[in-house]
Amino acid sequence: MEVFVVSLLNGLVYGMLLFMLASGLTLILSMMGVLNFAHASAYMLGAYFAYTVSLYVGFWPALIIAPLLCGLIGAGLEMYGLRQVHRHGHIPELLFTFGVALIIEKVVQMTWGLIPVPYRIPSGLDFPLFTIYGTQFPAYRAFMLLISALMFVAIWLGLTRTRIGLIIQAALTHPDMVGALGHNVPRVFTMVFAAGTALAGLAGVIGGNYRVTEPGMAFSMGPIVFVVVVFGGLGSLTGCFIASIMMGLIQTFAVVLDYSFADLLEVFGVIVTKATPGAEFLLVSLPRIGALLPFILLVLILVLRPRGLMGTRDT
Amino acid sequence: MSDQGKAGAAIQLTNVRKSFGRTEIIRDVNLTIPRGQRHAIIGPNGAGKTTLFNLISGRFPLTSGSITVNGRDIAGLAPQQINHLGLSRSFQITSIFPRMSVFENIRCGLLWSRDYRYSFWRLLGSQRALNEAADQLLERLNLHNRRNRPAGLLSYAEQRALEIGITIAGGADVILLDEPTAGMSHSETDYAQQLIRSISDGKTLLMVEHDMGVVFGLADIITVLVYGEVIASDTPANIRANRAVQAAYLGEEAA
Amino acid sequence: MSPLALLRRHWVWLAILFVMLAMPFAFYDWSRGRHSGFALTLMSEMALMAVFALSYNMLMGQAGLLSFGHAILFGIGAYFTAHTLNWIKASDILWIPTELIPLAGGVGGVVCGIIAGYVATQQRATAFAMITLGLGELMTAAALMFITFFGGEGGITTDRVIGSSIFGVAYTSAWQVYCLLVVWSLIAAILMHLQTQTPLGRIANATRDNYERTQFVGYDPRVVRYWQFILSGFFAGIAGGLYTLVYEIVTFDTLAAVKSANGLLAAYIGGAGGFFGPVLGAVVVVGLQSGISLYTSAWLLYLGILFIVMVLYAPGGLIGVIGQHAPIARMGRMRELLMPYARALPPAVITTAGFVTLIELATHRTIGAAQGKKLALLGIPMDSADMMPWVVAVGLAVAGTLWLRVEARRFRLRWNALIEDAKALGIVS
Repeated sequence: MEVFVVSLLNGLVYGMLLFMLASGLTLILSMMGVLNFAHASAYMLGAYFAYTVSLYVGFWPALIIAPLLCGLIGAGLEMYGLRQVHRHGHIPELLFTFGVALIIEKVVQMTWGLIPVPYRIPSGLDFPLFTIYGTQFPAYRAFMLLISALMFVAIWLGLTRTRIGLIIQAALTHPDMVGALGHNVPRVFTMVFAAGTALAGLAGVIGGNYRVTEPGMAFSMGPIVFVVVVFGGLGSLTGCFIASIMMGLIQTFAVVLDYSFADLLEVFGVIVTKATPGAEFLLVSLPRIGALLPFILLVLILVLRPRGLMGTRDT
Repeated sequence: MSDQGKAGAAIQLTNVRKSFGRTEIIRDVNLTIPRGQRHAIIGPNGAGKTTLFNLISGRFPLTSGSITVNGRDIAGLAPQQINHLGLSRSFQITSIFPRMSVFENIRCGLLWSRDYRYSFWRLLGSQRALNEAADQLLERLNLHNRRNRPAGLLSYAEQRALEIGITIAGGADVILLDEPTAGMSHSETDYAQQLIRSISDGKTLLMVEHDMGVVFGLADIITVLVYGEVIASDTPANIRANRAVQAAYLGEEAA
Repeated sequence: MSPLALLRRHWVWLAILFVMLAMPFAFYDWSRGRHSGFALTLMSEMALMAVFALSYNMLMGQAGLLSFGHAILFGIGAYFTAHTLNWIKASDILWIPTELIPLAGGVGGVVCGIIAGYVATQQRATAFAMITLGLGELMTAAALMFITFFGGEGGITTDRVIGSSIFGVAYTSAWQVYCLLVVWSLIAAILMHLQTQTPLGRIANATRDNYERTQFVGYDPRVVRYWQFILSGFFAGIAGGLYTLVYEIVTFDTLAAVKSANGLLAAYIGGAGGFFGPVLGAVVVVGLQSGISLYTSAWLLYLGILFIVMVLYAPGGLIGVIGQHAPIARMGRMRELLMPYARALPPAVITTAGFVTLIELATHRTIGAAQGKKLALLGIPMDSADMMPWVVAVGLAVAGTLWLRVEARRFRLRWNALIEDAKALGIVS
């Protein structure tokens, strides 16, 4: 029972972190049709910027400055890069973001080195909030939940209550029509791209010290975020939210539940030994498959239900 | 029309309805186009003419009703399967293979009908009959001097001619042309009209057009579509005199 | 066609054959009578990458399909070949001539292509790319899990010397293996070239140009792409089989995303539009990888920058850039570009020098210094802790960029004028 509750909480935290990343990507992909390979790179930059800034002025200013820097970079990329490639089609756009991701990873390695940097949880938040079933639940995780929840509310309010938000909502599902109606779609695009990138940066700020901050984090986090976006479906932030939480829970529980197919078969009285044909498959435990699960889901979703959970458009 | 006449129809639309969401675009259209007829559909913009084409060629699914092509119900068929029934269409917005040469464009149109299928063991360079047929069609389209140009570099009218060429290359006996003369100058339109007449000889032609000169010059029967409904379907002379059609689309003749 | 005419038509292939066989002799150690191991390895890598990139371009350039998981076809081919060699060694009855072993790779690639292709071609464009990405990650993760076929982290080792050559060659020396590699690479490339001129090849182009139109000339674009995927898997698998013969060990990095990315970079940088682009791209990418990496650890960054520059300004790749000169060459006015190029060269060199210095300084500061390396560019020793080199580098970069913009503008004017003249003469690119 305790494992369940603790895993549930951890899964929620991870899921909300994923949502912060995936929401920006969903917005960008839905509106502009661009699969932004560099999105996870913004996550990485957010963590690294926060690390450096907090070395000088502390964590709390970093919480604001790092995402801002990421947003500026995003705006620059969109205005001087994406817009140029846009007329060549979707594939060059994809390739451009892919190249940017490569370069950012290298630049990060060059600037901060190859080994993980000691980006730590600020001492002000480094205490156990409560104890549940004998395990301590750190206050920082509650803080992460708080920030991501605030973000969700802010996005929701921004999209539904402001004029620009309504335009963005419309452009999510009918980008061409919005342009035809006379709105400055390029400016909206730049804004959304910058906002999405800033959001990813913010995720990096709070996630970087929760997990490890190292140059490979973009390429390890990236594919999982893609899975969430596809799973949730295009044009729907609610779908993205559900998918994020689901993915967070799945990945967290998979690590904890040390079972395999062989164990399942044992319930039915079938014993699997090393000599059994296919033993290799049957004996693989869930934690080890954990790395595979998101991609199996990705492939299944794209083949069976390309709209994802709640998508309004096909990818 | 007798049942036997219906069965022999090239295209048969029965109680066809099409809605996008809550908006009904095509409302209960019934139409029979017998083999060998040259049939034009006219009507104001937004009447649903291109939607009708898209339904017949399998681009959109029907909301209700049925469509048969050469006697076969096309419900659930993919566009290429409908093509195999003998129907081919052109597009309002030119739809060719821009990076391939003009010759290659036509040749692609010929491949399936000549049973090449997905062969990766035959070299096209040595297929004499195929290449000759493609060249002959290019002559007919008056595009032979553009043979090796990338299709995307052709002039607009040349691309429209190529579009028609690709449409008929496969030897379809039911030809759908969606605004073939759109955007053409007077002389280009005259040429296109002649071309269309020659390629539809002995075949069934269904055409959407705005140029009344072309319509009245080519069509055996004209159907008038307004707000997704057929308000008249008759010979050109009768359509011209039809009051409802004049009110909705053609306008009164100048006194 | 007379033999001479045939030779003239296909001079490119003969030239490539000649270069591939002759180049290693430029590095030949005449005193000791043997080939340079480095040269052979480098050229082998280029040949392998060329075949891999050509097979990749069957999808990207020919069919308009962007794949991020192409390496799995290569890797499965490599593993398959390794197991085949090991079976032959262990069995008394199984006999396959060494010369035909790469076909085993081809078979592996086809099997993988049938399965992966069926899944991937269900979707188009971005969704296709994501499925291939997912499949690539899946396969890489699976490789570490299922030891029997993949051998875990250590991989599968094998021995190419199975004594079954039909020409009586032992394949014990690097040169013999290299020759086999050259022959097979050419065969694979020629076959892929022929394939572009088949009905399937042309219709694959059609699906790239206009998916819907392909339907309306009677083809199912998904089936077309599925076939193209399988064939591309065959050739990628052959490249994998050749890899196994050369290195005699296969590990999971033959499946990894990095390998797929390399193929993508090679095909794109070289030029995806024509046929030979990927070959040129492979030479460039491997050259940078193996050559520049000896001097700097930032070679991947240079590759990335080159890639981005191509995406932004030269989507046709290097071949495309060269090809754009064709109308001017046909007019016989190439020498009018001599001056503009010459004028643009100095600022280009200065800008490059500035940025390269900056990158090298930064790399040295964080990575190199920790590894105890000393930094020396063009023989000038530099200390990355000093201010001076940084200031100089920034100055060069900024000044060079400004000057380059001026010259680039002038170049553009001259270029546009020449192209206009070409158009007026009816010469089209």
